[in-house]
Amino acid sequence: MIWATWRMSRPLYIVLLTLAAAVGVWLVITGARQESAWTAFTALHCSQPGSNSACMNMASRYYSASQFSTAGVWIGVALPGLLGLVLGTPLVAIEFDQRTNRLGWTQSITRTKWLGQKLLVSGSVAVVFSAALVPVLWWWTRAVQRPHMVNFDFDVSGVVIIAYALFAFALGALLGTLMKRAGYAFAVGVAVFAVSRFLERSYVRVRLVPTTFTRGVIVAPSNAWVVNEGYVPLDRSTPGPGLTWQSGNEAITRCAARAGGIESKSYIKCAKTLKLHWINEIQPASHFWSLQWAEVGVFVAVSAALLTLTVLTIRR
Amino acid sequence: MSNLPALEAGGLTKRYGRTWGLRDCTFSLPAGRIAALVGPNGAGKSTLLLLAAGILRPTEGSVNVFGLDPIAEAAQVLPRIAYLDQERPLYRSFRVEEMLHYGRSLNTYWDDAASREHLSVLNIPLDARVGQLSVGQQAQVALTLCLAKRPELLLLDEPVVALDPLARERLMQVLMRTVAEHGTTVLLSSHAVADLTTVCDYLIVLSGSRVALADDLEYVLASHRLLTGGADAFDAPRGTVLIAASHGTRQHDLLVRVEEPVSDPAWRVSEPTLEEVVLAYMKAGEPKLSAAIANSAKKDGSP
Repeated sequence: MIWATWRMSRPLYIVLLTLAAAVGVWLVITGARQESAWTAFTALHCSQPGSNSACMNMASRYYSASQFSTAGVWIGVALPGLLGLVLGTPLVAIEFDQRTNRLGWTQSITRTKWLGQKLLVSGSVAVVFSAALVPVLWWWTRAVQRPHMVNFDFDVSGVVIIAYALFAFALGALLGTLMKRAGYAFAVGVAVFAVSRFLERSYVRVRLVPTTFTRGVIVAPSNAWVVNEGYVPLDRSTPGPGLTWQSGNEAITRCAARAGGIESKSYIKCAKTLKLHWINEIQPASHFWSLQWAEVGVFVAVSAALLTLTVLTIRR
Repeated sequence: MSNLPALEAGGLTKRYGRTWGLRDCTFSLPAGRIAALVGPNGAGKSTLLLLAAGILRPTEGSVNVFGLDPIAEAAQVLPRIAYLDQERPLYRSFRVEEMLHYGRSLNTYWDDAASREHLSVLNIPLDARVGQLSVGQQAQVALTLCLAKRPELLLLDEPVVALDPLARERLMQVLMRTVAEHGTTVLLSSHAVADLTTVCDYLIVLSGSRVALADDLEYVLASHRLLTGGADAFDAPRGTVLIAASHGTRQHDLLVRVEEPVSDPAWRVSEPTLEEVVLAYMKAGEPKLSAAIANSAKKDGSP
């Protein structure tokens, strides 16, 4: 079934390869333009952007070159999911649709082997194609000077891209097997993939690696992911029981208002009297790779569960 | 090994939700036979073949192929059987040669020379795309895939349906030649009962999701009689089992299974054709339909 799957899906692989190559070229071009504009701008040593016309020109050149960076991030977020779903949903669904599952299941190999080899071939393609995107997107996020820990930049740089593609593939394969229609399975797959990715990055990711706390500094270290920040009791690095990160801030704002205004002096005074200090709960930049691998672990485990379900569905 | 039946069903039942695909089927097909599986649409012919091929799982009961369970012991069963689906699925984007490659790479035994010879005799070019072949040619390619793995049991679901008479004859020729050479057991389903007399030597009639008859073809013909009687003759004579009857105003026609020669002078005895026997069993297996006809006849109140 290895050869047959390869032969059957070859047109799809070619389309995907072309698409991935086009996206890669686009990323390289936009990234290089933005990087060169930035290099040229910094070489001018402009003290203020508006100080002279050369600086103005270069600043606007950089600005126009950076217009694509948001689009680039969205492409980087969507691409692994689409890649996986496009490969996963038709894998079994198309066999049901053409009834060729009946042909395959009455040759001399067992159903489990039939499915296993199909999953292996197309799953490998999903992994290889998404792995090829990793260095391109990595270089691109550097070129457009995006920090790697915050916003969606974590999602488009590093090995997590491969894990997302694998997850989308496994999800697509299961949905295609259950629904027996590639089109419906793809539509449902897009929704499920988007929701699971949102839930994971909002609620699960932060718990994958223990956070660290920095005190005293109002501004968190650069390129750190600030999970929580605010005034908490002096002897603690988190709000006390029954309190939130907000309650310390509210207390100190009320105090400062009574003490005569929102100057920093009155805040410092209030912090002393209320026995509070400023704490940043962060995932520092040094946690980047441990977070990446932990997230890979989560998605690989979920993918393994989905693929097992697919095998069980086929064996019934 | 050779004493084991090629196919054996015991209380075999398949339910699709609320409807019966197959109901409490028990029969045994000896090895080396060419069996016809006949019955009206929806009687369960395809279901039976799918269960035998291990594609469907029985709801209840069991089916065995050479004494083995086609699902639990798939690894042993699959190399020994071949199944031809009613729709003859193939990969339409593949070339014929690639379809052969598919079969070769997925089977333990593969007679490549024979498969190529089949196709060249039929003038089917190996470099043609499957999707561009005629329906008849596609059927031949599908059958070639079945024969090349040289199965001991060949399961064919309506192998000649949708083929023109010439393609039909060619397909049956290829099939029969190969089967005769290797002593393959065949179970083939069909609507066209008349066609089967020349090729089959075993008969399984399905009706209303049940097995109505499963026996040697010659014995079936020898053990059934068509009785025609006048208005005064009504009940089936002693020593016979009534299968189906049609009552006219002047004449009664009965199809009966005979246990001893009929000597009742009230009845004229003749030998039925296979088609008549099959039709009688099909009617008998559809109680609702025959009851409805009887009711409507009563309502008509003919004098």
